[in-house]
Amino acid sequence: MGTRKPKDSNSCIEEGILDNALAMIAVLEKNGRIRTWNHAAEMITGYSRNDVVGSTEVWKLLYPDKNYRDSITEKISAILSTKNYFENFETIIRTKSGESRIILWNTKKITDSDPQRTIAVGLDVTEFRNADLFRESIIENANILIAVLDKENVRIWNKAAETITGYLRDEVIGKRDVWKRLYPDVGYRRTITRQIMDIIGKNRFFENFETTIVTKSGEKKIITWNTRQIGTGEAHLDIAIGLDITARKQAEEALISYMTEMAMRLKGPVEVIRDNLSDVTKLTRERKLEPLEIALILDTQIRNADQIAQNVQEFQRAIAEKHQEIPEAYRKFLAGE
Amino acid sequence: MPDIVRAEDLDIKQIFLLLATPGNMRERNIQVIKELSTLGYHSVVITTNFPYSILKKMYEESGVDLTKVSFVDTVTHHSIGKVENIRGVVRYINSPADLTDMGIAVTEVLKEQRTGEKVCILYDSISTMLIYLSSPSISKFIHFLTNKLRLMDISGIFLAAEKGLDPMLMNQLITFVDKVIETG
Repeated sequence: MGTRKPKDSNSCIEEGILDNALAMIAVLEKNGRIRTWNHAAEMITGYSRNDVVGSTEVWKLLYPDKNYRDSITEKISAILSTKNYFENFETIIRTKSGESRIILWNTKKITDSDPQRTIAVGLDVTEFRNADLFRESIIENANILIAVLDKENVRIWNKAAETITGYLRDEVIGKRDVWKRLYPDVGYRRTITRQIMDIIGKNRFFENFETTIVTKSGEKKIITWNTRQIGTGEAHLDIAIGLDITARKQAEEALISYMTEMAMRLKGPVEVIRDNLSDVTKLTRERKLEPLEIALILDTQIRNADQIAQNVQEFQRAIAEKHQEIPEAYRKFLAGE
Repeated sequence: MPDIVRAEDLDIKQIFLLLATPGNMRERNIQVIKELSTLGYHSVVITTNFPYSILKKMYEESGVDLTKVSFVDTVTHHSIGKVENIRGVVRYINSPADLTDMGIAVTEVLKEQRTGEKVCILYDSISTMLIYLSSPSISKFIHFLTNKLRLMDISGIFLAAEKGLDPMLMNQLITFVDKVIETG
């Protein structure tokens, strides 16, 4: 039975750590020559340790574009001129298979080594970044207002929020006064704040909560809000999603008002004709009207009926023209579905 | 049957919206004219419903003194063609939808009244007007007419079928008149 020397044991542990780490780990000489290249580095870059150890060529392979390579070399030199390490330095490498990966680098100088060496740890954040970009793209391109708020301030204010409210993100991000601007009427602001607090007190979120905001240009818009809480405790964030339903509401109101008007202009007049004819019948039976007088009243009622028929046609035409503006529920109702 | 419109309200030149069930509209018209006649008023009837010749006959049968009634008839001309205005008695206009002509005719008829004579107009009816005009147009015209009556210090009664006006038009009309009378 042999006894292991402490140095061998440490080497084994270091090797184990290096090869089981999920991050790229490379030990470099001062001129960038690779001394150590771990398993994760092989997996991420596609270059084996035999390809890279003892050489500086791998950097040219990882950064094949000269301009980009020069720019990151310049940045690294700038950082190292003030301190002997860098943190969370992001670069995009080209792997052996031609794929691009985003690597977040952290370095540390190994102080007791001679010659001087540096350990570089590279975390592949490609998937995180892609997920971030995807999420940002969804937030940015959504046609609904999205605002993310921490306890005090607005953290995210998307493009639709800018379009709907007129307030640009520079005017809103990091501040909390946007709500005062959107709800300038103190009484109304208090009312909706109270309602929101009541709802949140029970559910921690609210759904389809309708408010009327005043935009930067002074226009009033009706927004229906949905919120969700992200995280818990003091550090939680609130996400507020607002859908501008002004046009839909106006179309609904216009349609209801038009239908009410038409109902009034059909029901009442038809009753007028019915009662006039009923009067004529009664007066005729009582022999109080001459034939010419009867004809005159009937003529008038024919004209009235004719006008009502035209009104109905006008109504149908207006419905057809407004078809696209009519909300789905009303369209179905009018179509008899 | 109690008085539909109180004499003291007429004395202070109030303007009324008179609501009646559709079946009672003709009867209410005749009752109001009878009351106005009894109170010594000269009535100016703007009719969009029954022709002048029929109304005249009905008033006569009810004992109304026809010398105390003038008409603006929006019905007859369209039905029987050319008709001659009779000064102090009747002026015809082409259509109930012609609000300009109606406004001019009412102004002219009111000018024909003797100085110092008590005058009240009866507008019969807003419900019939709805056949020819939208509620915003009617509302504007009634506003114009009530303003004119107030400027000329004349009472006015606007007849309409109850439950035949939508709440928005009703609310507007209420703001133009002094009192709403529901007669059933």
